[in-house]
Amino acid sequence: MELTKKNREFTLKGFVILLTIILLFIMLFPFFVMLVSMFKSPEEIYHIPPYWLPRHPTFKNFIEVWNTIPLARYFRNSLIIAIGTVLLNTLISVPAGYAVARLHFRGKKFILYAFLVTQMFSPVVVLISLFKIVIKIHFIDTYISVIIANAVFTTPFVIWMLNGYFSGIPKGIEDAARIDGCTRVGALWRVILPIAAPGLVTTIIYTFIYGWNDFIFSLTFLQSGDKYPLTIGLYQFVGRFAVQWEQLLAGAFLAILPVLILFFIVEKQLVSGLAGGAVKE
Amino acid sequence: MADTILTARRKGIGAEARLAYILLAPAVLLMIIFMVYPIIYVFIISLFKTDKLSRIKDFAGFSIYLKLLSSKDTWVVIGRSILWTIVSVSTKTLFGVIIALALNVKFFGRKIARLLFIVPWASSIPISVMLWRWVLHNEFGLLNHSLKITGLMSNPPVWLGQSVSAFISCLWVDIWIGIPFMALVFLASMQAVPQTLYEAAEIDGASRFQRFRYITLPGISAILLIATLLSSLWTFNDFNTIYILTNGGPAGSTNILITYVYQNSFEWLKWQKASALSVFTFLILSVVSIIYSRIYFKKEEA
Repeated sequence: MELTKKNREFTLKGFVILLTIILLFIMLFPFFVMLVSMFKSPEEIYHIPPYWLPRHPTFKNFIEVWNTIPLARYFRNSLIIAIGTVLLNTLISVPAGYAVARLHFRGKKFILYAFLVTQMFSPVVVLISLFKIVIKIHFIDTYISVIIANAVFTTPFVIWMLNGYFSGIPKGIEDAARIDGCTRVGALWRVILPIAAPGLVTTIIYTFIYGWNDFIFSLTFLQSGDKYPLTIGLYQFVGRFAVQWEQLLAGAFLAILPVLILFFIVEKQLVSGLAGGAVKE
Repeated sequence: MADTILTARRKGIGAEARLAYILLAPAVLLMIIFMVYPIIYVFIISLFKTDKLSRIKDFAGFSIYLKLLSSKDTWVVIGRSILWTIVSVSTKTLFGVIIALALNVKFFGRKIARLLFIVPWASSIPISVMLWRWVLHNEFGLLNHSLKITGLMSNPPVWLGQSVSAFISCLWVDIWIGIPFMALVFLASMQAVPQTLYEAAEIDGASRFQRFRYITLPGISAILLIATLLSSLWTFNDFNTIYILTNGGPAGSTNILITYVYQNSFEWLKWQKASALSVFTFLILSVVSIIYSRIYFKKEEA
């Protein structure tokens, strides 16, 4: 009896491991292809039938891609957009998040609800209007237009996340600081923010990733090639008549790496933030 | 005594509320200028004839809406958007549950497996979609190569070249991006189900399937609802996958509303039509996001 149960557990585990390996193979297939192909020479990558592994692995693509396309410039532009989005978003969301979490005022529920609903809208719905507004205020073809648009689409979610973090801080701590002579803003700066720092890091990383991955706003608002971020720069490269795929894949790897690492830091908080109170970190 | 406390508090609330409004002002202003106003504005544009530079010309009333509603193209695209969302979300949910069930079993390496499953979500989505263009390449792509050598398909299609296979390709890439979130959410909620329930059921002689059906499934049902709603919104809104893989082609056969709006406006410069389509999209999205927000709000308060 005991033995059959153990046996069954054993078969189950074997089955689960096999299933996991198959599913992982499916899910990671494009990355696997990227990882092997970026070390191939042009002759190898355009060979029919395709090789699985490079015959003579080479790092040449990682050097040449910087000359084929202005990759360094794309990196710089992505950084400007991502950091700009973080700055604008944080500046706006921290006070708002503090207000909804710790102050009493009329219309609080409505505001929280409104932020939650707007979070779901597609950029495309407002893109035509935004485009016209951006032209009117002469922000077309500037980083700031892309930064504002990304900040608009990250602010609601970030306010909700911060609302959660700020609400969790005991009222007594803030009161103690105020008795010691801190103003409310002083208490926010010196007491609340340091305690909420881990949460703040999460929202900053989330916003950074959002800005880094922006595609549609850069595609629509930026016109001169020297302002393109990585996503658009690489997309233009893919659209060329003769794409040097071996170099593109090397560039893609470099572009993905920073956000991949950042994402792993915040994934647990993101999941619980998106799924609401039903999932705890 | 009680009176003074009450007035003091009332005064305090007054000052507190004022501070709250000041702190909220930048966020609210930003949302009004760049979110609420654009929605109203796009509705206004749809009521006027426009030139190629998107300048507003003659007032046309609701004529464009009547035209769109009587056009077959509109209904084909709306129908495809709904099909796209339903097929994609249900497949994501199915994969998500399977992966979560697998990762909920204790085995060596499952922590690493969990991390690896996140990669498609964690990586830059526009760039992952570009990777798929290479994977799907009919001559040099390793997908068709592996389909051939394993005998799964002796003559695999030119994936992005024909309408049906192009739509399936786009669907799959969108599904592939969405699976990790589903898996993670379901795993987290499965792990929150008390272990004692399973132990009790096992003593009572419940089979593995019965335990899944009567313990796991009810345990994750709340989150199942929220995750599928959220995923429906994301899927319906997925611009990147289709734009980068096929740009709606071949011959418009992979367009969903979102890409159709973009094409009509920024490529074909039919601003009035695109604006009206944006309003449709907005209405559809509103319904789902209000349902989602209601449920989320209840969760937060509970």
